[in-house]
Amino acid sequence: MTSTAVPTTAPSHAEPAYVGQKGVWSWLTTVDHKRIGTLYLYTALTFFLIGGLEAEMLRIQLQGPNRHFVSAELYNQLFTMHGTTMIFLAIMPLSAAFFNFLIPLQIGARDVAFPRLNAFSYWVYLFGGIFITLPILFQVAPNGGWFGYVPLTTRQFSAGINIDFWVIGLQILGISSLAAAFNFITTIINLRAPGMTLMRMPMFTWMAFVVQFLLVLAFPVITIALVFLLFDRFFGTNFYEINAGADPLLWQHLFWIFGHPEVYILILPAFGLVSEVLPTYSGKPLFGYPVMVYSGILIGVLGFGVWAHHMFAVGMGPIADSVFALSTMLIGIPTGVKIFNWMATMAQGSIRYTTSMKFGIALVALFTIGGISGVMHSSPPADLQQTDTYFIVAHFHYVLFGGSIMGIFAGIYHYFPKITGRLLNEKLGSWHFWINFVGMNLTFFPMHFSGMLGMPRRIYTYDAGQGWDTFNLMSSIGAYMLAVATLIFIYNFFTSRKRGEIAGPNPWHAGTLEWSIPSPPPEYNFAVLPTVTSRYPLWEGNETDMESARLNSQEGKSAEEMGIILPYNTIKPLIVALGLIIMFCGLITTRVLIFVGAATLVVSLYTWLLSPLEPEHH
Amino acid sequence: MKGNSRLQRFASFGMMVVLALTLAACGEAHPNTTFDPHSDYGRSIDFLWNRLLLLGTIVFVFVEFGLIYIMIRYRKREGDQRPPQTHGNVVIEIIWTLIPAFILLFIAVPTVRTVFKTQAKAVAGALQIEVTGHQWWWEFRYPEYGIITANEIYLPTGRTVNFKMTSMDVIHSFWIPELSGKRDVITNRTNYIWFTPDSTLKPAEWNGFCTEYCGTSHAKMRFRVFTVKPDQFASWVANQQRAAEFGAVAPAKAPAPGAPPAGGPKPATNPAALPPAPSTGAATAAKAVNATVPSTPAYSFPINQPEFEYAKPHTPVPAGMTFTRGLTGNAHRGQQVFSSSACVGCHAIAGNPMAVGNVGPNLTHFGSRATIGAGSYPNTPAYLALWIKNARVMKPGIIMPTLGKDQYDPVLKTKVAAGGLDDQQIADIVAYLSALK
Repeated sequence: MTSTAVPTTAPSHAEPAYVGQKGVWSWLTTVDHKRIGTLYLYTALTFFLIGGLEAEMLRIQLQGPNRHFVSAELYNQLFTMHGTTMIFLAIMPLSAAFFNFLIPLQIGARDVAFPRLNAFSYWVYLFGGIFITLPILFQVAPNGGWFGYVPLTTRQFSAGINIDFWVIGLQILGISSLAAAFNFITTIINLRAPGMTLMRMPMFTWMAFVVQFLLVLAFPVITIALVFLLFDRFFGTNFYEINAGADPLLWQHLFWIFGHPEVYILILPAFGLVSEVLPTYSGKPLFGYPVMVYSGILIGVLGFGVWAHHMFAVGMGPIADSVFALSTMLIGIPTGVKIFNWMATMAQGSIRYTTSMKFGIALVALFTIGGISGVMHSSPPADLQQTDTYFIVAHFHYVLFGGSIMGIFAGIYHYFPKITGRLLNEKLGSWHFWINFVGMNLTFFPMHFSGMLGMPRRIYTYDAGQGWDTFNLMSSIGAYMLAVATLIFIYNFFTSRKRGEIAGPNPWHAGTLEWSIPSPPPEYNFAVLPTVTSRYPLWEGNETDMESARLNSQEGKSAEEMGIILPYNTIKPLIVALGLIIMFCGLITTRVLIFVGAATLVVSLYTWLLSPLEPEHH
Repeated sequence: MKGNSRLQRFASFGMMVVLALTLAACGEAHPNTTFDPHSDYGRSIDFLWNRLLLLGTIVFVFVEFGLIYIMIRYRKREGDQRPPQTHGNVVIEIIWTLIPAFILLFIAVPTVRTVFKTQAKAVAGALQIEVTGHQWWWEFRYPEYGIITANEIYLPTGRTVNFKMTSMDVIHSFWIPELSGKRDVITNRTNYIWFTPDSTLKPAEWNGFCTEYCGTSHAKMRFRVFTVKPDQFASWVANQQRAAEFGAVAPAKAPAPGAPPAGGPKPATNPAALPPAPSTGAATAAKAVNATVPSTPAYSFPINQPEFEYAKPHTPVPAGMTFTRGLTGNAHRGQQVFSSSACVGCHAIAGNPMAVGNVGPNLTHFGSRATIGAGSYPNTPAYLALWIKNARVMKPGIIMPTLGKDQYDPVLKTKVAAGGLDDQQIADIVAYLSALK
């Protein structure tokens, strides 16, 4: 790259003093967006492994007909928790890890708008995740599917504590997501550096911006649906009680009005990451930036108008079926545009095949398959042969594994050096990628066939002679390959964390602001707040850009030495989150806990609000 | 990837494994395929599917090969200059916004047309079948004929059948992959789906599935569909309309060894060997069956043909289940035991005034059914004996209690003591139920 004017002097050690304090207490009390992002990353990766383990157990069971590796009861808990874990505890928080770490760096800010609220979001997520995950160890985990259809999940048909964990757990996680969403919206609107207009924002921040609005608009709907169910289960209301004449479709509509935007909540951050990765390794700006922004917004908006395509089998009548079929087909257009624009970004470039780039291209290739099968079931009559079969399982794993997870891995290989100061090992990365890529296709491509050959979803066993044996065996072998690939990644992650090559501020010769500062970034991010004059300040910026980049890439001084005021560390967000969890735990244990939790919450929130965020300015 | 020969060897080995498995998968029979429809509805869907597949394949090939071309053509080479810093091209972007929109038109139009066609009202004179979903079995009623049965449906070929569905408990979904799409079976709602099995279809057996997750044994909520000739259907109907009788039938043997292997003891009589009832024609079928009591034994589908092996359950009995060898059941005694035990609280048998329960499947012509436990096991005395003894072990979560004396009830987590049935009593019940042809 002839254009890279930024000096890339390597720091002498990976964790320089300027990064901030050390020790467990500093992590518990941190309000630094980068450290919170790191906490999100580690926690979400842990849940990703748990969700993966659950998936492996499902695949062991289905490897052949009539197998009994796990009981029917446990199988149903495992598939429920696999979905719930991957969606709410792995992919969403992995995206949140990137939101936290990257948004302030990409827009040239010192932190998010509400640093303590940010910490609160993380702790609520952690506690909620533990709350919903622990029961699987005692085989009392939620067992109603991640979609929790009533009346199966009402007390009448699920008397046990299993569904209680799910209803309460999702409610808790929703609080975390909503708090974070408001935080990021405020951050992006208010804290952009001078010259960082909306149409100069990096594409990842743009997609993150869209996602926050989806969260804010979609989560209240699931919250209401869950409050109804929670009241039915605990206080005897009749929102979903069939004996009181309830219509079970109420839940389905509420759930999918949330559930479909949720799909875009899961995929758009990965689209954003790939829109950073592809230009960087192609050495070209993103092709059609404005169209990429508009198509992202359009996907988000249309995403609220397609929910009933999850319900083509419920008998809504031909008019509703047709309307939702057409709106669903429409959403294929902006998605297609994104695929073409990514290809055009690569075309005429000078493509470097780093691991990150391989994962990024894999997203384009695999999401396309998920998109095509998506159009296939946008047609209601065709969907009536596909819905609730393994064809659908194939489809959404191409979207969520081929799309979200591939994009997130592209992001991890790309940003690991920024987060840790060291590069991930590229050779191990290559093994990880290829085994992952082959394993992913071997797992999920045969599911298209097993589904169209009549295999229903969510069955804990199937009989011999149904024509599904070989396809299931293929899927299971693929799943074991994915386990191997993941182990390679974990090994790579931890060895590179300690002994990886020193990265320097901009190891990939990328063009956006976050690459102008040292890796890992100092606690204050930018020594001087940059003035931005273009979309890729490090590639096409003028002298102002270059000068602030030069100043920012220098390192060594702590915030105190620089005279930069940072927020106090505080344990209060953690205590408030703890109070919240205790309060919810009271519902399933003893009601006294509700009051203990509420008291903890109110008192700690009160002291939080009365204590100053940061030292007074002098 | 240069020089990474280990990766290459690994990749070529993997390709071979995948190829071998793919060949194996193609060699398998696919008895539940959606690609070979046997009804008008199935073909409407198949038409759409073929178009979707064609257009999808074109897009797939275009995008993936374009991507591969770009990856090879624009890979970084020695001495590459900085690539052109293009930011976009409005004309090109408009073109590739319009192309997908254009392709979607070819999907949207036939889609809407098919939606309205398949969801129109069923033709007058269609065979009405009421479907009621239960955790985890299917109740089927033919209101026109006054028939109540469970877990299997007889359909005359060439006549439109209109299913009217609702659920007693949670949501289920009704699906016969080879005949039509699926329709959810929803509590407090009534849904319909109709189709016409091809009149050219020779008598055949099809698998049906519940496809909406409905709790513990969702996987074992299957059913069987028999598409038969109109005269065979008429004969079947005539028999089903009669109250259950078994008087003339000799006591069935219930040998019941420990774990019945596939192809274990067969029912005492095999109706398949008997000639079908005389033909009366489709249109007059209803009248004819009401008027005549067939002198020949009623038609039931010959389930033991190798051609329909896929419709025969192959699930092994859970380990540890045993039954006393060499017992012979007595149907008359069995009737008494059945009528004086818990059975009648849940099961109805027309002709048995004690048996009026409606929680479990109606057992009136139980002996003529192909499976027990909603497609879980073959309906043979050996399996049936174990089923009565401890159904909860054979199908997780079901309401049917564990009945065998000293059997461990996995739900209550206790042993059945007083009131439990001994093996002789169970053998008698087996003889009684098997005789209810």
